[in-house]
Amino acid sequence: METNNPEKRIVFVDNIPASFAYTVNEGQNIHLNMASFEDFCDRTIDINVLSNGSFEGTFADFSHGNGRFILNVHLLGEGAKCHWSLASLNNGSSEKHFDTSVFHEAPHTEALMSNYGIARDNGKLFFAGISEIRQGSHKTKTRQESKIIVFDPEALGRASPILRIGDNDVEASHAAVVGRLNSAHLFYLESRGISEEEAKRLITLGYLRPIENFFVDAKVVEKIERAIEGGI
Amino acid sequence: MSQLVIKNLEVTVKDQKILRGINLTINEGETLALLGPNGHGKSTLLAAIMGNPAYKVTGGTLELDGQDLLKMTPDLRSKAGIFLAMQYPSEIPGLNSADFLKSAMNAHRQKALSLFEFYNALQNAYKDMGIPFEMSKRNLNEGFSGGEKKRNEMLQMRLLQPKIALLDEIDSGLDVDAMQIVAEAITKEQKRGAGFLIISHYARLYNMVHPTKAAVLINGSIAVEGGPEIITRIDTGGYEWIKDELGIEIEKEEGGPMNTVSIGSCATKERMDNGNK
Repeated sequence: METNNPEKRIVFVDNIPASFAYTVNEGQNIHLNMASFEDFCDRTIDINVLSNGSFEGTFADFSHGNGRFILNVHLLGEGAKCHWSLASLNNGSSEKHFDTSVFHEAPHTEALMSNYGIARDNGKLFFAGISEIRQGSHKTKTRQESKIIVFDPEALGRASPILRIGDNDVEASHAAVVGRLNSAHLFYLESRGISEEEAKRLITLGYLRPIENFFVDAKVVEKIERAIEGGI
Repeated sequence: MSQLVIKNLEVTVKDQKILRGINLTINEGETLALLGPNGHGKSTLLAAIMGNPAYKVTGGTLELDGQDLLKMTPDLRSKAGIFLAMQYPSEIPGLNSADFLKSAMNAHRQKALSLFEFYNALQNAYKDMGIPFEMSKRNLNEGFSGGEKKRNEMLQMRLLQPKIALLDEIDSGLDVDAMQIVAEAITKEQKRGAGFLIISHYARLYNMVHPTKAAVLINGSIAVEGGPEIITRIDTGGYEWIKDELGIEIEKEEGGPMNTVSIGSCATKERMDNGNK
């Protein structure tokens, strides 16, 4: 798959290929929108970003099943950018692994990898991934955010971000939070007359809903909204 | 007539007994100023009345108009007519303020508000509280300044119209203009007939909202109860006289007495700070 249009949007709804590779050409902006509502399975996506190219990847995952989703983004050219967002709802007895990595291989490259998830019932959710700044990639910025709310006693969430830094003069950070719903947040909402159930729903909505902002197709947004409402 | 009755209330936090038998009554239209040194249980009392699960009630009773609040979850206490303006309101990521307010308002009603009724009420409330309406699109309390959070608490009080409102240091972190707005919001609810229990370290707020009575909480119990003249006495003389006259030893004194933070120094300083921004 290759194109020279400066702006391009690729959308997969439930028909995400098991493996594909894509190159973002010089100065190109690529938006990859993925949404999944049916079966979760193993997938590998490789993205190369050339100079001043920008990759914005989004995955709204409401599927069921077991597997490993692997994303490797290589920022090969100077000024290349990557912005990745995942919102995953994991209920039933699904076991999902997300390995989302970014490799800074040129100076002045920027990446934000953000993974949000909810683990319910017996669901197991694992966020891993490497943010690597290779030698010679100075003035690079990289950040990883992983947050998982674990709803039920049998549910499991684990976030293990890795930063590898091989150059000086870079900015690198990560935040990983795994935990139950914040009891102070719940109390605050309940003290306003909102039932515990509704309070949990509102907090969870607030957690997953921001993913909708990346999608432009109103029908897909509506489908995501229904999946969020139905799943929590 | 609405009445909140607290009898022999005992509360434990993390296995430590904080309140050792509190007795207080607040009637409709009354405003009680709750004073006392820091760390003696004022905030604990308010949190326990609202039903914060971190505060375990180990004895006593708590009734609003004869209903047993202790049997109710916080949402039911809110619907019964209790409101707590928190000292540190939570920031809730991703939860839109307007969506939250709509849920809260509808929870208090049999029939959901129409979109028109809701936005009307919302716009008026934001205007009265001097908060730009744009703020209703922001996530609840997320990134709000201290003063914005406090005004946002008052906005919620206005929209929910409680029978009894509990205000935990609603005036801390407010500049003089915001203090005026907050005092006006309280006065408005007082006129409607709401009862208030107000914790503050500033005589200024009390001077603006005219409490009808005052109580001093020391060592987990009410040491003194009486008219608003108690506020003036503490504002000028601290808590020493309680020790001298009543022989009550103040067990721990983490914060200073009230007069070290009273209006003369604090509010003026805040005004100056604001003027310099």
